[in-house]
Amino acid sequence: MFDRAIKYDLLWDGSAAEAVQESQRWILTAMNRYGHELVTLLWRILGNEQDVLDAYQTTFLHLAHLDGGRKPCWVKAYLFRTASNAAISMLRQRTVERKTLSSITPAGEVPASEIDFDAGHLAENLRSHIAQLPEHLRNVILLRDLGELPYAEVARIMGVSAGTARVYRCKAVQMLAMWVNDEENR
Amino acid sequence: MRLLKHGETACSCKGDSPLGWGRKIRGRLVDSAHRRFGLAAPWVQRHLANCPKCRQRLAGVVKVDLALSVIKSQPHRLDLLMRANTAAIRMLSHQLRQTEAADRLKEAEPQPSLAQRCAGQQNAIVNVAACLAVLMLTKAGIFTSLDKARTHGDAALKQYYTDRAGEDLAGEVFKS
Repeated sequence: MFDRAIKYDLLWDGSAAEAVQESQRWILTAMNRYGHELVTLLWRILGNEQDVLDAYQTTFLHLAHLDGGRKPCWVKAYLFRTASNAAISMLRQRTVERKTLSSITPAGEVPASEIDFDAGHLAENLRSHIAQLPEHLRNVILLRDLGELPYAEVARIMGVSAGTARVYRCKAVQMLAMWVNDEENR
Repeated sequence: MRLLKHGETACSCKGDSPLGWGRKIRGRLVDSAHRRFGLAAPWVQRHLANCPKCRQRLAGVVKVDLALSVIKSQPHRLDLLMRANTAAIRMLSHQLRQTEAADRLKEAEPQPSLAQRCAGQQNAIVNVAACLAVLMLTKAGIFTSLDKARTHGDAALKQYYTDRAGEDLAGEVFKS
């Protein structure tokens, strides 16, 4: 009797594991389908390989544990929004760390990167400004310019019309331009 | 005032489907609006020359555009996707980690899309297509001309025989 109970238990375990495997297989499919685009987006937002790996891992961890493994209605939208949110929080943390470090650096010393035109400095500067944008404007810049998604898809992900997405992008660029100018005039 | 993104053209002429027509018309409208109200418009140029505030705004927009292009032009290492997949799969359940799909993902490399793959050969493909089109047109033209010449020749010969030997004989000769 006891033996049979153990056998049934094992059988149930096996079938449950198979069911879990089958029910979560879509995660691997999503990874296969959107992995490259996601890595590119994260790389452009963060510009650091280790951060990209962490943000990518966090994104899929969120996806796997969403409501006990339930598949979201639109996987791509969920992935892109989660990835950009994870990346932005990392970027903000990095900006704070950099500010703390620069406050420790003596005032007389100006880093070499700030003297000449430096592509790396320009990109890093823009990244920190993007992190400060309001959420709706930031998402459009991230998805449209860094993710290179068409406006129709950006609008669908954000739940707005394509025209609204265009207006948001225009506002975001104006705001970024203003901040870039302010910083240079300082 | 809308600045064109890198690789974007003011006129989009892609395909001839109804959707393509719509795009074409929209592209022309955008192009026309760009000429009248864009940076190239003379009144904008005149205004920019006299307005330091607008000049500064424009400089800011150009800087943002430049920074975005710089960000996009920095490529990541080819194995980044592979490493990211491996790290993400490590966090998934044991059953998922053991699947064949997971093994394939651990060795995945970024695959360029068909359009990207063809981008390098675009000029060559266009040239070959143009040559083929010219050849086909020439061939069709030559054959049509030959056909015309033969018909006219036959008609002239028939007329000659009709004049010299009579209609009956000419009809018999040219019956086939």
